[in-house]
Amino acid sequence: MREKPKVVILACQQALPDPEPLLQALEAAGLTARAVPEPCSSKIEAFHLLRILAVEADCVRVLACPEDACLLKEGSCRLGRRLKHAQEYLQEIGLEPERLEVTRLNPGEAVDLPRLAADLAGVALTLGLNPGRRRVQEKEPQK
Amino acid sequence: MPEKYHIHVRPMPSRFPSVGKTTVLDWGEGCLRCTRCVKETCPYNAFRQRGFDDRSLSDTIDTYCKNCLRCVQGCPRELVVKAANPQYRRLGDDYWTPAILQSTWFQAETGKIPVSGAGYGGPFAGPGFDSIWTDMSEIVRPTRDGIHGREYISTAIELGRKPLFLVFDAEGRLAFEPPPRVEIPLPILLADPPFSAGPVPVRRALTGAARRLRTLAVIARENVDPELAAEAEHLCLTFPTGRVDTEDPLLSRVRLVELTDHEGVLAQVEAVKRRHPGLVTMIKVPADEGAAARVSELARAGAEAIHLFCDHHARGFLGARERHLKDLLRTVHLTLVEDNLRDTVTLLASGGIALAEHVAKAIICGADGVIVDLPLLLALECRLCRACQRGGRCPVDIDSLDPVWGTQRQVNLMGAWNHQLLEVLGAMGLREVRRLRGEVGRAMFVEDLEREIFAPLFSRPGPEGFRREGE
Repeated sequence: MREKPKVVILACQQALPDPEPLLQALEAAGLTARAVPEPCSSKIEAFHLLRILAVEADCVRVLACPEDACLLKEGSCRLGRRLKHAQEYLQEIGLEPERLEVTRLNPGEAVDLPRLAADLAGVALTLGLNPGRRRVQEKEPQK
Repeated sequence: MPEKYHIHVRPMPSRFPSVGKTTVLDWGEGCLRCTRCVKETCPYNAFRQRGFDDRSLSDTIDTYCKNCLRCVQGCPRELVVKAANPQYRRLGDDYWTPAILQSTWFQAETGKIPVSGAGYGGPFAGPGFDSIWTDMSEIVRPTRDGIHGREYISTAIELGRKPLFLVFDAEGRLAFEPPPRVEIPLPILLADPPFSAGPVPVRRALTGAARRLRTLAVIARENVDPELAAEAEHLCLTFPTGRVDTEDPLLSRVRLVELTDHEGVLAQVEAVKRRHPGLVTMIKVPADEGAAARVSELARAGAEAIHLFCDHHARGFLGARERHLKDLLRTVHLTLVEDNLRDTVTLLASGGIALAEHVAKAIICGADGVIVDLPLLLALECRLCRACQRGGRCPVDIDSLDPVWGTQRQVNLMGAWNHQLLEVLGAMGLREVRRLRGEVGRAMFVEDLEREIFAPLFSRPGPEGFRREGE
């Protein structure tokens, strides 16, 4: 069976407090998805993004607040710069920078989940599997 | 003087980083490169030890950070921030709260009583077990040499039928054969958790813990393999409704069996006792609206031990779905007292026993002891994400745990619980856990206080000639 691309969502809790419906929408779109809730997108370092791509994900999407709406004032802005740095690194090693992206969501506003899921699925399916990712045989749960 | 019961705990580190209540946001950009960076002077070396965990895809600093906030206060550019960790909030559920999970992990790792140096910031009462305040009157006059000193506090209980009186023959010898009893030094039986990513190693760890603690591991007969069967002395076999093979060779080696309640359970008990007279039988009764009457009926018919079980949120079944284990236990206990049967039968409770204090509170409500399962799984670092039930991958690889490691973690947890039970008993001035059973005078129930004391004070006055509730 063909392996489904895996998307890891790093969700700022202010931007998307409950990423579960998004995961369901992504899985319905034919992806494997995992969400890691973050206190603020500035918790995410450039090396975190790269490590996630190396060990688990085909695509990483950070859901962050707009730069001027960050609860910690400059957190979202810092994330933007770190992400850009990580994208440059990807480019340098010959991987598509689109594997790391950020989506800005206004805190407190309703999120158009089907649209977001469709966008993410479109990118992930177009890029396909990440050649730099470590492949591990998933264990079968013990009966 | 009997040998003192002591649980040997020793630190057993977690295999995976724990999920902290708060997390550090460390903004590297804009750093002044101070000569004395707060990260260098962290008293717990949290910044030096931190890494990135490939499994949880997160920073491991929360495992080492002790929330002293020295870095937050000390950074001249205010580049270190502490924030609530959303991963912590997502742990467990509304009953098995993140605080319970974290406290259980701490106890399993260290074997120590969880103590908060910053005091208790929570509410003083809540639903369920949190509505019971235990007596601490003796805490102002502690025993001469502490609870671990010469004045021994016994936590032993006996499982089995007890005669209400003794009969002696003319020569002063006991005129009847006393019923068999199983004595365990801890009022806790360990049960196989209902789910886990690795049932086989979990059962190995559980049986090892039961042996070390000298209690019993409650495991379904069909799950007992030859390796577990070698530990038969420390097993309590459970059988599904109506199915028990009295010729099973394992029955002659175990001390306690559990049969699920059904119409023909008494005949089944009789058949087992006829073939294995030295065996103690326990009947598992669901805590529904008819539980009190059923337990009384079983006790009158000669049942030796009863296991009253609730769901994992300490709620009853069917018509008693809204009732908490503590209330159901009190009803069952008082029914047995009224029927003059309480001292004949052993009553164990399970379902929703999540903390050490729940053991003492369940005993106050009328249980002789408790049976725990999920806390033992939590001791193995379970996140209670239930991914294993959905066929997903366990985030903490429970399927690959070393049973020796698991045993020590469970022994540590029970050691910490036992110490807390001793603290509760010591604070009450009790020297035996058996004396705590049904001792509601040693506790205050918030709902009773509200009804009897606060309602008359704060309820609206009724019309002329009416008395307010509680007056």
